[in-house]
Parts: sequence; C-alpha cells; structure tokens
Amino acid sequence: MSTPVPGYDCTMDELMVVAFSRAMSNDTRAFNGAVSFIPVCGYMLARRTHAPELVWAASSIAVDADPGEIGDSTLSDSLWGGASMLSNSPFDFWTFAQGARYNTFAFRGAQMDAYGNVNNTVIGPYDNPKVRLPGGGGMADLGAMIPRIYLWSSTHNPRTFVEHLHFRSGIGWGDGGDHRERMAMPGGPQLCITNLCVFDFEPASKRMRLASLHPGVTAEQVQEATGFEVLLPDGDVPTTAQPTDDELHILRTEVDPTSARLREF
Amino acid sequence: MSKITTLEKAAASIPDGSTVAIGGLSMNSAPMALVRELVRQEKKDLDLVAIVAGMAVDWLVAGGCVRRVLAGLVSFEGLGLAPNFRAAVQSGAVAIEEYSEHLLICRLQAQSYNLPFMPTRAGLGTDVLGLHAESGAVREEKDGPTGERYVACTRLPVDVALVHAHEADERGNTRVNPKLVWMDNEIVNAASRTVASVERVVDTAVFTAEPERTTYPRFMIDTVAPAPQGAYPCSCFPDYSHDSDFFMAYSQAARDRETFTQFFQERVAGPETWEDFLAVNNVATGVSA
Repeated sequence: MSTPVPGYDCTMDELMVVAFSRAMSNDTRAFNGAVSFIPVCGYMLARRTHAPELVWAASSIAVDADPGEIGDSTLSDSLWGGASMLSNSPFDFWTFAQGARYNTFAFRGAQMDAYGNVNNTVIGPYDNPKVRLPGGGGMADLGAMIPRIYLWSSTHNPRTFVEHLHFRSGIGWGDGGDHRERMAMPGGPQLCITNLCVFDFEPASKRMRLASLHPGVTAEQVQEATGFEVLLPDGDVPTTAQPTDDELHILRTEVDPTSARLREF
Repeated sequence: MSKITTLEKAAASIPDGSTVAIGGLSMNSAPMALVRELVRQEKKDLDLVAIVAGMAVDWLVAGGCVRRVLAGLVSFEGLGLAPNFRAAVQSGAVAIEEYSEHLLICRLQAQSYNLPFMPTRAGLGTDVLGLHAESGAVREEKDGPTGERYVACTRLPVDVALVHAHEADERGNTRVNPKLVWMDNEIVNAASRTVASVERVVDTAVFTAEPERTTYPRFMIDTVAPAPQGAYPCSCFPDYSHDSDFFMAYSQAARDRETFTQFFQERVAGPETWEDFLAVNNVATGVSA
C-alpha cells in the first residue's frame, strides 16, 4: 500500500512517478528491466505530458509501446501494445545500449550505496550468503554503458541505503570522483527518487545529496533512514514539487489505470 | 530424415553431466516441456547456462538435476525469488558461476564466432570480475593502442541448447512468431547441438513460402519435439501469457518442504506425459492459431 502525501492531493507512488517523469525530456531514449513499474509509469507519463518525443522500449524490446494497462511483469508482452517495433535482444538492444543510442536507464538494488552502485546478488558474504538474490542481470552491464542512470526505491531505510554494499552487482559512480571518466564510461547516475526524498549527486565526490524532501519529511529523517552520510545542498532543501491535476489525471486514467505501480509498495 | 521426436526421447539424448543452455527470458518462452522431462528422467550433475531465467532453473534444481548454474539472473521478477535456486545456492548444494546478462552473452558469442574472447564494457567496476580471477573466464584487460579497458569474455562451450519456438518442419527449419525477440539465438549458435520444442509441426512449404520469417535454418536444429503450450507456465508470445497463478502457488508451496514436495510431484514432475501435465494444471490445448 502507498501512503497519502501530506498537503498534496496524491499518494507516494504518484509523487514518485511524477518526480521521475519530470526528470525525463524529449531527447530521452529509454528502456526498462524487471520490476520497474515506477520508471515505466514515468516514461509513459512524460511522453503524454512534456516530452512527446521521448523514446521508450517496453521490456527493452517494444519500441514506442503504448499499452492500455500494465500487467504484473514489466518484462512481458502485456506491455507491448501499440509498439512500432519489436526489437531483438542481442542484435538490436545490446547494440543500441552499448553505443548509448539508448541514453536513459533506471535501476535499483536490494542495497544501494552513496555513489549509486547497487547490489542485487547476495545479502551477507558471497561464499556463504544469508540471502541469495536474483543476480545482476542486465542492470549490472548497463551501468557501464548508459549515460543517464536513474535510481529509485520505495523502501528508503538503512537496510537498502548502505555505506558498504555486500556485493557490487552494478556500477553507478563507482568509487566516486572521476572513476567513471577514468573507465571511459559515459555519464552516470543523475537522481535517486525514494519514498522520502529525491537525491542528486554532488558533482565532485559523486555522493548522494538531498535535492528535495517530500512533504512532511525532514532532512534528519532522511539521514536516520540512510546508512551513509547524506550530503546537504547550500541553503534550504526544497520540497518535492506538487504534481499537477493534469499529471495525476493522466497517470490514474491513461498510464496506469489498474495501479500496477503499487506492486512496488 | 525426420528430426521430429518425442519430448521423452529428446530428453533421453542428453547425458548426465552435460552443459545445458536454457532458452527464454525470465517468465517468457522457456522450454518448460523439455525441462520437465529432464526432471522426470532424473538427470544428474547438469551445468545450466541461463542468461535471464526463472522457473526452468528452479524446476531442475528442485529435481536434483543441477551441479552448477551459470547465470546472469534467476528470479520470478515481482512474484518473488526462485525458491529452490535460492535455497540451493545458500546451502551450497548447487554451485553458482556468477555472470551478468551481457557477460554471458559475450562468452556465448566468443564460442559462436570461434574467437578467443569477445570484448565488452559490461562488468567493469563491479565485483563480478573478481570472482573469475582464478579461471580468467571473464577478465579485465586494456587495449594497448588506445588504453581503453574492456572485459574479455572467453569461449563458453555448450553441449546442448534447449529452446522453445512456434513452428518447425521435419527437416529442422524452425521459427518464432512473429520474430525472435529474446536471446535464444545466442545459445543456439554456441551449442554443439540444439533441441527445439515447438508448438506445432508444419510443412516445409510453410517455410519456403515465407523464408524471411525463418529463425533457425535446419542445419542449426538437431531435434524437434512437438509440445503444444510447451513454455507453460511461462509465456509464448503472442500465443499465450505466463500463468501468474502457477508462479504464486509454486512460491507459496515452497515455504514448506513437505508441501512443496507434494506440489512438485502433483503439479510438475508426477504427470506422465506433457498432456497429462497440462490437464493437471488446467491448461487448455489446441487453441493456438
């Protein structure tokens, strides 16, 4: 279940989708992986509002898909309605990804660190794990290839946001600073959108920094829920912008009328 | 000579200890009828190559067929972790060789192209490469002239690839409708031989009428095993979707060992034929166009 956002006429899932959507633009060329309901809603909402030229390949396969509703898998054909092309994974997708023809990807991990690196492989020691997780999948590869990386989490707590990952499955800003540049990797993580706040990345260190707080949340609360030191911007931290009636209406009635996005809450 | 055989005979041709690559992606287009037959025949010590997998790997692990899993990802997506895979890796009963999707694709491509390695940026800056330090199966290198770093993915020999497709003729020409979107071609191209389960067998004239639609030429497919609804409970786009209810019932049963043993026997391994299996799981057949 998602919770109401105090003072805004919307719920947390909707605020996160709108924040994600607003970070997209007309030159966004995106695709999605597994269990990616928030980004999928964000791409579709952005395309229906301020970014009509945005490219989104549903499941990394169905270019310009426009499904009537979102099913229980973001990797399945239920998401492919209205597509102009069904692309093939190795020949098309991995070519477009490695060449950064696709420029935008959103991923997350069971653990994420201050640099936007993610772990989706094990909790505990690798050789004797407490929990064996699914593995890095494509997310692990794409961190090194895609210039605009977005992270999100509907479970902002110290178990998710950790100082040290138990395993680095996928790379964000790596060790920080100029690490990606030295590795000749394009761009890097841009934002991390959570159920408490939005982080950006401090330009020199590449560590997460508060960009905005959701209504009713304090910087202290974010710090308490985060296992690493949260950087603060100069001056006051803004409040995450309120979704417009138009955005909420389109999200609720056109983009995701069955509220599939709540599967992440 | 016809390449068409039964699921039972196709599975029987795969010896214990084989390296078996499983097609499909996550909850889509996995060769479940062939996988179920491997479980029924109690294969042992298989090394599984699965780029992005779920239920197929979990069935084989539950059946005690697996020695090692070479995978990029094994899960039921939002429906949960693959329970037997998870438990077997945690207990050490099954070994895992850790990859990502593209590292594994590149190893298969090196094998397909008969090259010592395929380069990629995938895996750079992650902990995956360190796990391969000893074998060097995937290793970070630097290009001399440019200084660029890459990961060299060495050849990955595969004994047999198992894929599911829509149609094949008796010569082995095979196609996926309306086209292949997953990475099954990577395992087919790398494998010494391929077994395809198919929704239906058609005349060769179907292929010659529309040769642009053929996915695998006959010399790449060694064995064809008819299996209507053969990817169930995974999807076979555009004919049928994955069955979320099966995935959820399976995960629910796996919370208790005894319950799962009974579930696995009744709903997966027990039914004698694929048709029996579909009947037990209330799957309608003969509806695909």
